Amino acid sequence: MIQIRQTFAPLALTVLLVTGCAKPPTEQIEAAEKAIKEAQQSGAATYTAEEYAKLEGTLAALKKEVGDQDVKFALFRDYGKAEQLAASAKADGERVKTEAAKKKEEAKAAALQAQQVAQESVKSTLDLVAKAPVGKDRAALEAIKNDVDALKASLNQVQTALDKEDYPAAQTQAKAIHDKSQAVSTEIQNALAKVGKGKPSSSKKK
Amino acid sequence: MAYGQRNRANVTWSICTILLAGCVQAVPPDLVTAIDAIDHDLIALRAPEAAPEEYAHFVRQWVLLKTRVQSDDDLIRWPWESNDLEDELRRLHDEGGSTVARLNDRQAFQRRTAESKLVRLEERLQLIESQVESINGRIVLGEKPVQFDLLIKQARSFFEQKDYERSIQAAESASHTLLAQTAVLTRELGRYTDDKRITHWQTMAKQTVEWSRVHQSTAIVVSKADRVLTLYKNGRKVLSYPVRLGFNGIREKQFQGDGATPEGRYRVTAKRGQGQTQFYRALALDYPNAQDRRRFELAKKSGRIASAKSIGGQIEIHGVENELMAQTLGCVMLDNPHMEALYERVSPGTPVTIVGALTGQNSVALALAQLEDRKEET
Repeated sequence: MIQIRQTFAPLALTVLLVTGCAKPPTEQIEAAEKAIKEAQQSGAATYTAEEYAKLEGTLAALKKEVGDQDVKFALFRDYGKAEQLAASAKADGERVKTEAAKKKEEAKAAALQAQQVAQESVKSTLDLVAKAPVGKDRAALEAIKNDVDALKASLNQVQTALDKEDYPAAQTQAKAIHDKSQAVSTEIQNALAKVGKGKPSSSKKK
Repeated sequence: MAYGQRNRANVTWSICTILLAGCVQAVPPDLVTAIDAIDHDLIALRAPEAAPEEYAHFVRQWVLLKTRVQSDDDLIRWPWESNDLEDELRRLHDEGGSTVARLNDRQAFQRRTAESKLVRLEERLQLIESQVESINGRIVLGEKPVQFDLLIKQARSFFEQKDYERSIQAAESASHTLLAQTAVLTRELGRYTDDKRITHWQTMAKQTVEWSRVHQSTAIVVSKADRVLTLYKNGRKVLSYPVRLGFNGIREKQFQGDGATPEGRYRVTAKRGQGQTQFYRALALDYPNAQDRRRFELAKKSGRIASAKSIGGQIEIHGVENELMAQTLGCVMLDNPHMEALYERVSPGTPVTIVGALTGQNSVALALAQLEDRKEET
């Protein structure tokens, strides 16, 4: 009986130690980190800043939890909470990635639409300038031409902001161009209305 | 016996009730709700962008503590037991609360800063527009007024979106553009404030008047800055009328089509009555004269004027073809009744001196001084 006890006791202890030594959920942690990195790459830090901050918070909590368990005596380690956090970070990372990408696309679409409206507006202003008569009657429109040229050049700035993926700046710039273009069009129409009341004159050397 | 048993049971129940009543939850739910509310406030205040480090610290703590709150949810404790979790939550609540207060203050400050910048710039926009319009100098500024206007509009858009930081950035860019505009005006029109140049113009005008006196004849002096034409007879002022210039009239004429009105000593070369001009009546001038040609050739040689450019010509003092038109391409334009009065009094050979300004207090100098004075305000 004593012999049996002497044989089985170390074995039982070894089995207990081996099965009792919990390991950190490395793969889940890596998966969570990957999901967070992808969320960041999809623009989460800009378009879903608060969600992204929470993701980083979860990752920090996860690392702390793993650290806390790592320093415990092997038999008392429990990575259950770390696993939960890793799973939660991964799921949230994927959700935030999708959400950020969606918001970024929405911002891009809004900026592109504003750009198109601004382009059309500037084009119609340019068409109005082209309709203006040549010669002396055109004098009143000369100053306005500068404004239209400036509006045309400003459209490049909208494109630059779009290229930099700074959609809020692109959108506000495009809106400003559209508003100014409308104002310039009104000014040209008023000038043309004045010119229209007199007959166009021939071009003269000045 | 029965009484004793009942009594013991009552005492036991009383102790259990007291003990159970004394048990408290691990964390007060109100505290968790309050921290959640702080988190929402921080998000509303754009804390992730406005105070990224503080917000990251808050979130890290909050996620950690929330995890502990969730795992300790089923626990109860005795009132006399210490509760580290609650203490840490209270600390986080206080820290978060003070961040909210700080961000609120910062946002209010940014809002005030952005708003006052915008209001000042919008006022400046109105001022510069009216001043530039008054001296007919819009074309001098090229594309800058539009750039300035667009930046102010952009700053206003960001302000309305409560993005005060970007609103301030756009307002600052607008401010730089405004300074550039003032610099362009000063560079291009600075001669209107130049004492030497003004003395030169005054001398030219005096000599013209003197010529009229000596020759007992008529002579005309035009001041571009004040847009006034004065007719002298026998050295005395006979009449004075307002004039309109070319669309770029305030500048010195350099080449054909620049819309500028030339400065110099000219003579009336021909009188064109009704049927001979499309502009009611006209007095043709001898622009370009020898001095203009010399200046033009010199400018071409030095590269200030492109070699393909021509000097231009057919500068006149004339009436108005279309009453609604405000400008000419470089001539001096008078209202028709004034033109008629002038036409009757002038003959070919009459000297016409066109100068930039006759006093240091001319309209261009005053407009520039006003713009310069208020330059620092933005």
